[in-house]
Amino acid sequence: MPSSWDWITPGGAARVGEEGTEPDPRFTFANERTFLAWSRTALALVVAGLGIVQLLPPFPGVPFGRHLLGVPLIVLGAVLAVVAYAEWIRNQRALRLSRPLPHSVLPWLLAVMITGMAVISAIVLLLSATR
Amino acid sequence: MDDADDLEQRDPGLAMERTSLAWTRTAISFAALGGAVLKVSVAPGLVILLIAPFVWRLGRLRKGGPVRLWLITVSIVGVSLLALLVALIGHGAALRP
Repeated sequence: MPSSWDWITPGGAARVGEEGTEPDPRFTFANERTFLAWSRTALALVVAGLGIVQLLPPFPGVPFGRHLLGVPLIVLGAVLAVVAYAEWIRNQRALRLSRPLPHSVLPWLLAVMITGMAVISAIVLLLSATR
Repeated sequence: MDDADDLEQRDPGLAMERTSLAWTRTAISFAALGGAVLKVSVAPGLVILLIAPFVWRLGRLRKGGPVRLWLITVSIVGVSLLALLVALIGHGAALRP
């Protein structure tokens, strides 16, 4: 049984395919597509963050406003990619060992991210409008 | 019928094609991000653009599943670091005339 952080290395990742028995290929493909969809979401967050920093005009009265909005989005993109990979490993392990699929934290994580960014955006816009 | 025979009988249907298309979309996402970064900073943009064909090729390989996905994750983390660098040291509103 691999340790909880074994998946972070390529060797540890390769060992996931050695546990249990080969599941129905449709489930394996579906798990892979879900991972890829989350990866594209992570890339979209990075693009959004970079776009905010590079394309938006500066907020009057809030000198670091663009960075305050853009940099967390880029960091959250990287975090989302890593969590998506960890979830792919957990799901694949569960499929191979015929266990129930674990609960996904990604929708919750994304909802918290978006809500937090919406609140920060509103604060930055209000500060900018009042100065 | 043993497990091995049963496994061979399972028809993945169009699941493989859908997954292949998902890989292609992911490669296009990398290319789009590379194009956007290229407008702001040439070297990081080129690096990200060059990742796109590798991602597409990874999607065509049917062996080494977990390692392929690990490579995608490492690529996204690397791209995020490049984007962070461009965001922090690049010139703001670079695309405006």
